[in-house]
Amino acid sequence: MLRVRFHGRGGHGMKTASRILGTAAFRSGLFAQDSPVYGAERRGAPIAAFTRIDRTLILERGAIAVPDIVVIADDSLLDDPLVAPLSGLAPDGILILNSANPPEAVRERYSIPEDVRVFTLDVTEIAQRILGHRAAVSAAMGVLSCRAAGIADDVALSAVREELGEIGLPEALIRKNENLARACLAEADVTPLSVDRLGAPEPAVQLSVPAYDDPTVGTPSVYAPGNMPLRKTGGWRTVRPVINLALCNQCWICFVRCPEGAISLDEKDNPHIDYDHCKGCLICVEECPTKAVAEEKEVRTW
Amino acid sequence: MVSSARMMTGNMAAAWGARLSGAEYVPAYPITPQTEIIETLSRWFTDGTMRGKFVTMDSEHSMVTAAGAAAAAGARVFTATSSQGLLYAMEVLFTVSGWRVPFVLVNVSRGLASPITLESDHNDVLAARDSGFLQIHCETCQEIVDSILMAYRIGEDARVLLPVLVNMDGFTLSFTREPVILPDAEAVKEYLPPYRPKHAFIRASHPMAQGIAVLGGFIYSYFRYQQHLAARNALAVHEEAAVDFERLFGRRYGFVDEYRMEDAELVIVMSNAMATRGKAAVNRLREKGMRIGLLRLRVTRPWPGEAISAVLAGRKAVAVLDQNIAPGAGGIFVTEIRSSLYGRKDAPPVLSYIGGLGGKEISTAEFDQVADDLRRVAAGGDVPPPRLLYTGPEAEKLHSLLHIAGKE
Repeated sequence: MLRVRFHGRGGHGMKTASRILGTAAFRSGLFAQDSPVYGAERRGAPIAAFTRIDRTLILERGAIAVPDIVVIADDSLLDDPLVAPLSGLAPDGILILNSANPPEAVRERYSIPEDVRVFTLDVTEIAQRILGHRAAVSAAMGVLSCRAAGIADDVALSAVREELGEIGLPEALIRKNENLARACLAEADVTPLSVDRLGAPEPAVQLSVPAYDDPTVGTPSVYAPGNMPLRKTGGWRTVRPVINLALCNQCWICFVRCPEGAISLDEKDNPHIDYDHCKGCLICVEECPTKAVAEEKEVRTW
Repeated sequence: MVSSARMMTGNMAAAWGARLSGAEYVPAYPITPQTEIIETLSRWFTDGTMRGKFVTMDSEHSMVTAAGAAAAAGARVFTATSSQGLLYAMEVLFTVSGWRVPFVLVNVSRGLASPITLESDHNDVLAARDSGFLQIHCETCQEIVDSILMAYRIGEDARVLLPVLVNMDGFTLSFTREPVILPDAEAVKEYLPPYRPKHAFIRASHPMAQGIAVLGGFIYSYFRYQQHLAARNALAVHEEAAVDFERLFGRRYGFVDEYRMEDAELVIVMSNAMATRGKAAVNRLREKGMRIGLLRLRVTRPWPGEAISAVLAGRKAVAVLDQNIAPGAGGIFVTEIRSSLYGRKDAPPVLSYIGGLGGKEISTAEFDQVADDLRRVAAGGDVPPPRLLYTGPEAEKLHSLLHIAGKE
C-alpha cells in the first residue's frame, strides 16, 4: 500500500489534491481511498488529507500516521509544531514541498534523513504566472503526488479535469489548471514509490486508561487566561498586508476592522501589524480608504 | 398518619424539594402535567419565600441551557419539565452534563407523541438515559421531596458534579395528593451545605472558559470518560448520601426498593408509581401462597447493575414490566437487567412485559398472567416471548372507538 499525506491550509486546495490522486489511482485500476480532516473551517487554518492506494481492498481508514509520501502546500507549515507535517514520514519516503527553497536547504534545516527523497518546487510562483492570480494549488500538488505514486501523467491530468469539474470550476479555469499541472510535471524529477511496498509498522505503545481526576482537572474548562497569543497564527498567512504610513490618515478603520486584534496603535496613533498573529485575511487592505495597506506575497526566508 | 405530615401532590412535593434545597435560580417553561411545580415556585419567589431568581424562558431548550449556565456560575439551580419538553431540551441535556455542572431537573413523565397523550410512561425520561444526567425514579410524593434533596447532595459532590433528573409519573403522582412529611429546614441545611464549586464558578479577576471545544479524539475521549467515571462514582456517593439522609430524616433509600423479597422465588421488576399497584399484586399473590416479591428500580443512572444482579441472582424467575417501549426492540429496562445478570451461573430466567403505556392501568388479571408465566417458567417451562399487557375489555373499548373514527 502507498499512504500519502497532504498538508495545506484552508484555501490551498489540498483536499482536492488528495482527491485528484485518489481518482487517478482509481482510474488506474487500483483500490483507492481519500479523506480530509479539518476543524472549524477557516481560510488559512491548517488542514490535512489522506490518500491510500493499494492493489487490494484497503482495511484502513482515517489519519495516516506513517506516510510513504508527504505533500506540503506551503513551507510555513513545517514550522508549525501543531501540524508537524514530517512526523512519521517513512525513512525512504518522498517529501513534495511547495517552496522556493532548494531541497538541500530543506533537508538540512529540518534534519530530514538522507534516504528521504526531497522535491521542492515554487508552485505558487508558477501558479501565479499561469493562473494570473493567487489561487489554489490543488492541480499542481495533485499531479505531483500522482507522479510520486507512479500514476501515469495522462491519468493524473484527466483526474485534475474530473475533480476540478466536480467542484464547479469553469472550463477556462480548468484548462489553466491543466496547464499548471503540465508545467509542474515537466519540472518533477521524482522517482516514484511502488504501490506494492510494505508500509512501516505503527510504533509500539503502552496502553493507559485514565482514572478519575479532580474536577478542577477533569472538566472541560480552561483556567489559564490570555493563552491566545501563544498560538502564533501568523504562519497561516500566504499574503502579508503592509502599511505605508506615508499614506495613512490615522482613521483607525484598519484597527477597528481587524478580526484578530492584530493591529495596534502607537502613541502617535499610527497603526502597526502584529505579524505573529495576523492571518493575512486582508480585510485591512479592503477597508483602508486611502489605500495605505498593500498586499505582498509572503516569502519566508531562512 | 404522622402528625407532621401534610397532604400534597407530587408537583407540590417537587416544589418543596426545590424550596428546602435553597434553589437560587429557576428557569421555567410550562408543560402539562408539570406546570403546577413552576407556578408554585413562581409564587414563592414573588412573595419572598424563596430568594433568588425565577425566569420564564422561551423554550425548554433555553431553559436547560440557562440552568446549566447558572450552575456553571456556581448557583444552586432547579428546573422541571415533561415529555416533549424534555425531548426539546435533548441537545442541551448532553451539553450541560458535559460541562459537569450539578442541578436538579424534575421530569414529570408523560407518554410521547405520536399519538399525543397526557398520561404517563417512561419513554421521555429514558430518551435521556444516556445524556449524562443521573436519574432517580420515584414511587411516592414523599420520595420526590426526599430524592430532590439527595439529588443535590449527590450531584454537587466533587466526585460526581453531574446534573440529576428526578422522575415522577404524570397524574398518578404529579396530580395525586397523599401525606408527605416535610424534612426539617434546619436539618436540610446540615444535609445540604452551600454549593461552593472549585471547578466552575464566576468570580472577579478569575476568568475561565467552560464547556470548551476540543479537536482530537484523544482529548474528547478523556473528558467523556471522566464523565462516565463521575457517574460511576455516584454509586458510592449515593450510599453515603442515603446513610446521612436516614440519620437526619429517618428514611432510607437504596438504588432499588425491595418489597417482600426476603424469601421470594419469583420477582416482578417495576419502576415509578405503577410499582405501588405491583406491590398490591404481590400481597394478593402471597395470600394465595406464592413466594413472590417486587423489585422497584430507583436509581437507574448510574446503573446499579451489581446491586440488581445481587438481588435477583438465585431467584427462580423474574418478570420485568417495562412502562416504556423501544419500537422494534421491546422493553428498555429488561435488556439492562438481563445484561447485568449475564454470565452468572445463578442468573434466573427473565421474562419481558410491556405495560402501562400512556398511563394504561395494569389490572389484576394482567398481574395474574405475569404470575402464572413466572410460575410456569420457575417450574422449568420455556420463557415466553415478550408480551404487551392488554385486556379484553380494553380491546373492546378500543374497537368501539375505532368504529367511531370510521375505521372498519
